[in-house]
Amino acid sequence: MLAPALRIRGLKKAFPKVVAVAGVDLEVARGEVFGLLGPNGAGKTTTLEIIEGLTAADSGEIEILGLTWAHQGQEIRCRIGVQLQSTSLFNKITPREALDLYGSYYPKRRSTSELLALVQLEEKADAYHITLSGGQQQRLALALALVNDPEMVFLDEPTTGLDPQARRSLWDVVRRMKTEGRTVVLTTHYMDEAEALCDRLAIMDHGKVIATGTPASLIANLAIPSVVELTFDGAAPDPAAFARRLGQAVERRVDLWEIPTPDPKALLPRLLEAAEAAAVPFQQVHIRRATLEDVFLHRTGRSLRE
Amino acid sequence: MILWRQFAMEWRLYSRDRLAMFWTMAFPVLLLLGFGTIFRGGGSPKLAVVRVQAPAPSARDAALDQALTDLHLQVQTLTKSEAEARWSRGETAAQLEPAGEGYRLRLNSYLMAQAGATAGLVNQAWLVAQARLSGAPEPQRIPTQVESPGHKRSTNYASFLLPGLLGLNLVSMGLFSVGMVNVSYREKGKFRRLAVTPLPKWIFLLGQVLHRLTVTVLQAGILLLVGELVFGIQNQGSFLHLLLIMTLGTGCFMAFGFALSGFAETSEGYAAISNLVFFPLMMLSGVYFTLDAAPVWLQHTVALLPLAPFLRALRAVFNDGAGLAGHGFGLLLVGAWGLAAFVLAVRRFRWA
Repeated sequence: MLAPALRIRGLKKAFPKVVAVAGVDLEVARGEVFGLLGPNGAGKTTTLEIIEGLTAADSGEIEILGLTWAHQGQEIRCRIGVQLQSTSLFNKITPREALDLYGSYYPKRRSTSELLALVQLEEKADAYHITLSGGQQQRLALALALVNDPEMVFLDEPTTGLDPQARRSLWDVVRRMKTEGRTVVLTTHYMDEAEALCDRLAIMDHGKVIATGTPASLIANLAIPSVVELTFDGAAPDPAAFARRLGQAVERRVDLWEIPTPDPKALLPRLLEAAEAAAVPFQQVHIRRATLEDVFLHRTGRSLRE
Repeated sequence: MILWRQFAMEWRLYSRDRLAMFWTMAFPVLLLLGFGTIFRGGGSPKLAVVRVQAPAPSARDAALDQALTDLHLQVQTLTKSEAEARWSRGETAAQLEPAGEGYRLRLNSYLMAQAGATAGLVNQAWLVAQARLSGAPEPQRIPTQVESPGHKRSTNYASFLLPGLLGLNLVSMGLFSVGMVNVSYREKGKFRRLAVTPLPKWIFLLGQVLHRLTVTVLQAGILLLVGELVFGIQNQGSFLHLLLIMTLGTGCFMAFGFALSGFAETSEGYAAISNLVFFPLMMLSGVYFTLDAAPVWLQHTVALLPLAPFLRALRAVFNDGAGLAGHGFGLLLVGAWGLAAFVLAVRRFRWA
């Protein structure tokens, strides 16, 4: 039987001032798109860089495609593709030259023109790297990650800093990787990205994996599949007194209150009655499904973007 | 094949930075033009004496002036106050002034090399002038001949400077620019993307060394051409030998730079480390002073450093038209240092 694409046991890494990875276990199946979701500083990038062989772990075991860095480093490098969080290339190299050059390092390679077409950089193929926009540089980095036709691809925050349209086109490239049978491991702090792209997720916080599963199962396991929101015109008032009156937890966001509930239909009449009695000056009521954001909030007490 | 691609790409990217490339090529040429112009007048720098004007010049003064000129001393006659002003600015090496019945020579203690030689010539001139005034036969002088230590083929000072410029230039390229560029690229994370590819470090480094080597050889070619066209400086030896020595030396000092860059985290740190190596290497190379007075163990140690044998071989070929015989051990030493530095560079090299 084929070994899993990635197997990690007890991974730890401490830097002089901070414990970046505090014991991570993961398993990624072949052909899966796997996401590491978490806020900045959760240890996603360090975990990824250890897997990629860029950083040495303090302890723990890693197997990539059944191979280990200690024994088969060169083979791992040949079979994986990597997009770093920021890919800093030489200012005056062109996308065509970069793809030709990096391709020449590998025994197996995809053609430069095919890769340029895949990430829609044909028109900029001969422009200096420094003249490319942020989105174009990200797309080139993605093409570089595919230059050796890798079985497994690692993408570190592939869409950070991109406009919505550029994000969508990057998502398409990632989906394409999956249909081509590659295993993809990506990090992100966008929950919509994780929901849209990933077959399975690990939610990370403070160097630990706090939950693993498919996006749907993570939300379903929350037991509070819905959230009722009261929005205010301006800053939301302190909800403590109202929560006591309602007999239910009320969380304050910047300009709204959130009331998680398993049964919004039963809650709504009670909520409106209480709000009227307490003269709460809310503007609108929304009911929405819980999201990964709520899963993170529920597990950590903090928002992903905090 | 990968090495060739790496090398070609280095050259391609380098050639796109026109300004940097221009100055790399132009700087040693400018140095040569500057020094060459200053010292173009044949032999070593011309000796000059400041002559303080006598209140009423006598026949004796005129005879002395004539004799000074005959001995090829450059005489600058100034009034007493002008001469004093020049003296206190420290620009005068030797000053000849009237004192009582005769003359007195004041020598600048900071410029003793020129002042001493000037004093000798002034005294000879005085003897000549006295003989001429008294009608005695012209005093016989021992003829002198200026020549370079090996043979006497290139006697011109500018042509003595040129190999020094070549050598200094590649040492500073190796120790300063190459290593510095490497450290700053690493600081900016330009090598991180390479770390996740199977590209071996030694190919990456060797590609850079080869690129720098060809840059330096090209640079040397331009310098030789300008030297020949502008100052008529000619390589007295074989160009093949010159190429061999330059290649060995460049490879050695480039490898030094790469090895040192593995010991510095930041560009600031690198500046400190490279100076730590550069100055002893320069000072102990025998270029500035001889080490005859130093303890024997130090002399033996210094004899194993690569800069002196490299410069010796370069000058022997370029100035004296010598072959490589007699420089075998020295060049072997340069090669051994280069190889050791390269191995160290590969071992210490980190992508990030």
